[in-house]
Amino acid sequence: VSKRKIIPTRAALTLTPAAVNKIRWLLQDKPEYIGLKVGVRTRGCNGLTYTLDYTKEKEKSDEEVLQDGVRVFIEKKAQLTLLGTEMDFVESKLSSEFVFNNPNIKGTCGCGESFNM
Amino acid sequence: NSLIVGEQSHRLPQKREPSHTAGLRCFSNAVQEKPGLSEDKVHLTDSCVKRLMEIMEKGEYLRIHVEGGGCSGFQYKFSVDKNKNEDDRLFEQKGVGIIVDPDSLEFVKGATVDFSQELIRSTFLVLKNPQADHGCSCGSSFSVKL
Repeated sequence: VSKRKIIPTRAALTLTPAAVNKIRWLLQDKPEYIGLKVGVRTRGCNGLTYTLDYTKEKEKSDEEVLQDGVRVFIEKKAQLTLLGTEMDFVESKLSSEFVFNNPNIKGTCGCGESFNM
Repeated sequence: NSLIVGEQSHRLPQKREPSHTAGLRCFSNAVQEKPGLSEDKVHLTDSCVKRLMEIMEKGEYLRIHVEGGGCSGFQYKFSVDKNKNEDDRLFEQKGVGIIVDPDSLEFVKGATVDFSQELIRSTFLVLKNPQADHGCSCGSSFSVKL
């Protein structure tokens, strides 16, 4: 009797307002780029680390996240790893960085750059 | 019996030396310095100086502090400090300065401080530390050469 429930698909990656603002600022004078691409790479003392690059085009296997007018693409290899992650931008006088609050990870390195699952 | 090591070769993995000579190494780019002082200096890269000129107000220093912790045993801590203690060493360039306390200096002497700017993060880093054996990927943690 009941119709199949439609489960809203959760965004693979959510951006905090700080991250949205920073990405918008980064891209405003670079019209050749359509967004940023997030990936993971094997590196570091805890196995994996995030990568971030400008991207000119969406590849077939990329997952696209569109939020508040900015676009972030997730590499195929990183899609499972990043599922449910919040991307934040933290800035202080001495450093500024994109931080990934990833619910899937088991452990991180002291600096927070390297992690395992 | 001080050893002159060229700029090139000191990027290569070095043979572990007996600890009693560790403090006597001096690099070719520091030869003009007064002997005895050259090996316990901290060097600043241009990007580090430029960034410090942007962010530091008058009377503020970048303090490097080494403490235990991190995945490799020791880690670098950077902070902004207005108070220079009497026993702090000051390394100045173009009006901006880095201060290091004597205990931390033992672990960073001869190293270079850089400001690295990447898309994912911009931060101060300690590079080419002759005291460090191998570091963590992020460069904030290291182990000491014995």
